[in-house]
Amino acid sequence: MDDLLSGQLVVATLVLGVIYGLVALGLNLIYGTMRLLNVAHGEILMLGGYLSYWLFTLIGIGPLYSMFVATALAAALGVFVYHFLCRRVLTASKLVEQIEANSLLLLFGVSIILQNVIALSFTSTARAYAYLDQIIHVGTFQVTANRLAVLAIGLTVCVTCVLYFRASMTGLAIRALIQRPDAAALVGINIERVRLISFSLGFGIAGLAGGLISMLEQISPFMGFPFTIAAFVVIILGGLGNLYGGLAGAFVLAIIEVYGVAFTSASMRSILIYGVFIGILVWRPHGLFGLRGAAR
Amino acid sequence: MFKRILPTLSGLAALLIATAVSAADPIKIGFSHSKTGIFAAAATSQLQSYELWREQMNALGGLDVAGTKRKIEFVHYDDQSNSGKAVQIYEKLITNDKVDLLLAPWGTSLHFAIVGVISRYKFPVIGNTAASVQLRDLKAGNIWFPTSLFPDRQSVELAKLLKKQGVTSAALITNQLPYTQENKKFVVPALKQAGIKLLVNEDYPPNVKDMTALLTKVKKAKPEAVLAYTYPGDAVLYVKGAREVGLNAATQVVLLGPQYDFFAKIFGPTRNGLVTMGHWTPLRKDWPTAKVFFDDFKARWKTNADYLDAPLAYMSVQILQQAVAKAGLDKSKLRQVISSTTFKSINGPVRFKGVENIALPTMISQIQNGQQHIVWPPDQATSKIIAKPAWK
Repeated sequence: MDDLLSGQLVVATLVLGVIYGLVALGLNLIYGTMRLLNVAHGEILMLGGYLSYWLFTLIGIGPLYSMFVATALAAALGVFVYHFLCRRVLTASKLVEQIEANSLLLLFGVSIILQNVIALSFTSTARAYAYLDQIIHVGTFQVTANRLAVLAIGLTVCVTCVLYFRASMTGLAIRALIQRPDAAALVGINIERVRLISFSLGFGIAGLAGGLISMLEQISPFMGFPFTIAAFVVIILGGLGNLYGGLAGAFVLAIIEVYGVAFTSASMRSILIYGVFIGILVWRPHGLFGLRGAAR
Repeated sequence: MFKRILPTLSGLAALLIATAVSAADPIKIGFSHSKTGIFAAAATSQLQSYELWREQMNALGGLDVAGTKRKIEFVHYDDQSNSGKAVQIYEKLITNDKVDLLLAPWGTSLHFAIVGVISRYKFPVIGNTAASVQLRDLKAGNIWFPTSLFPDRQSVELAKLLKKQGVTSAALITNQLPYTQENKKFVVPALKQAGIKLLVNEDYPPNVKDMTALLTKVKKAKPEAVLAYTYPGDAVLYVKGAREVGLNAATQVVLLGPQYDFFAKIFGPTRNGLVTMGHWTPLRKDWPTAKVFFDDFKARWKTNADYLDAPLAYMSVQILQQAVAKAGLDKSKLRQVISSTTFKSINGPVRFKGVENIALPTMISQIQNGQQHIVWPPDQATSKIIAKPAWK
């Protein structure tokens, strides 16, 4: 019971949940609106991490500022990738399965290219920096300032996104496109524009997540893949294409990871995560918050 | 007529011979390199040491091959951190590229993987970044290991050090990857033998993203020493987590991580007091070339050499260089010379018995004032071990 209420574990769960949530949000947005399986998502995150690293180590701009640059540049890269690569996949493929398969191959290629470009440019050596690493005492526990910063920024971004999807016209159009793509076109939504916004927003959030993560752990050209896998677990858990479900899935994963280790053993981590993952999919094949057929 | 042209012919012949010697074909040296994949981040310094050595040799006119200087050309391919790929590459290097010499790939698993192919072609290789008891016990006749960090020897020395420090209890957390697991296998009985009670003994997966829960458990157990058997990536998570939860055991061993330059850049003085594995430091006065290597590496790559892979890789090429100068390229002569010669290196003398370097004792290091000192055994130490200051 002590463990359950430990502030240390609560903060660890929230930080991990926010990171997973941010990474999954961008992936889910792109999948939900276009059915594109962006396996290069982790590499966009990695680019955000490198940008923050270089801006901090070369000219002293901290990630709290450079995250805006990382978001903007990643979003711009999203526009480029969408225009020159993904739009062609969307127009050339008639079936959802075809879009998924083709995008998987195409974006896998993009991910390999990005990894190798960064490895060639900066070597494969891991890099890291110390920023906001002072310990802050909060009641009976202590936490590093950069983790609190990640928590605060991550929660703000997640809440802003939720509000954006609920209250703004573009946000509503994105949700409409996710839920009923054909009907969305019929009611006059500019599908092409909404897709472009979703794609660049997805990339932008990944770039931002990379900048934040670079404060917490070391970066390398190959750091992205585990995040892509975690993001896929999260969005499948929450329901593919369900943005809110994805965020809930992120916190479910974080709870399993932190409290699972606390109550059992660290060696059980993967067994617990994938055990619960399989169990939920058996119980609800469309994820915790997925609607049968809603994504089609 | 003949008498008239004889001096001309003799001159021509002399010129031809001179040309042949001075413009001997470059020597081709092959290896696989983990440019991509899970080892990529750790493998860079090995390649940097290889490249540094090649440039230094070529600047001196080339590698001395039994009296003839030959420029060095590298033939290397990305093994993608994949054992199967490494095997294919070494087979290709030997049979297709027909390299004259081979250098080692990165890490224990890839060393293990290539043993079969180099044994088949009886091609001698000086290993470097590998230290596995299993690998050593294979007794493969074509590979040698300059390191003394074999888990069985290292575990015994660590237990002795902890006992000397008066440690009576410890917590052990271990990454599930092979090298750390092998160390765990040997350190548990060694601690028991030394009368040190193990209060926590848990493994964690390599893809761990947060260690708070695990380290909270360790803190609760109140061990006098923490043994974190990490790889470099999770070593960062360990230090960040231990600092955050306030895990302030006076002895904290972090197996792989503190030796690397990136670790120093993140943690700076915070890492002072961490005990780690390592048998090399540029601070040893009786290894004068150690400091030269450290400075040359920094001048060439604008970054500090790590205290583990970079010197080991450089040691391996130093050994090869001396062996080739003596034996030339004949494989069986090379094998014989490697097995019977005492070599000079940046880590002191090297002499092999079987596959092991018996001239180098197993040592344990500690970060003090931002530098890696050898602290154990006492007759090898560059500094006395200190209690780890509380995290700041």
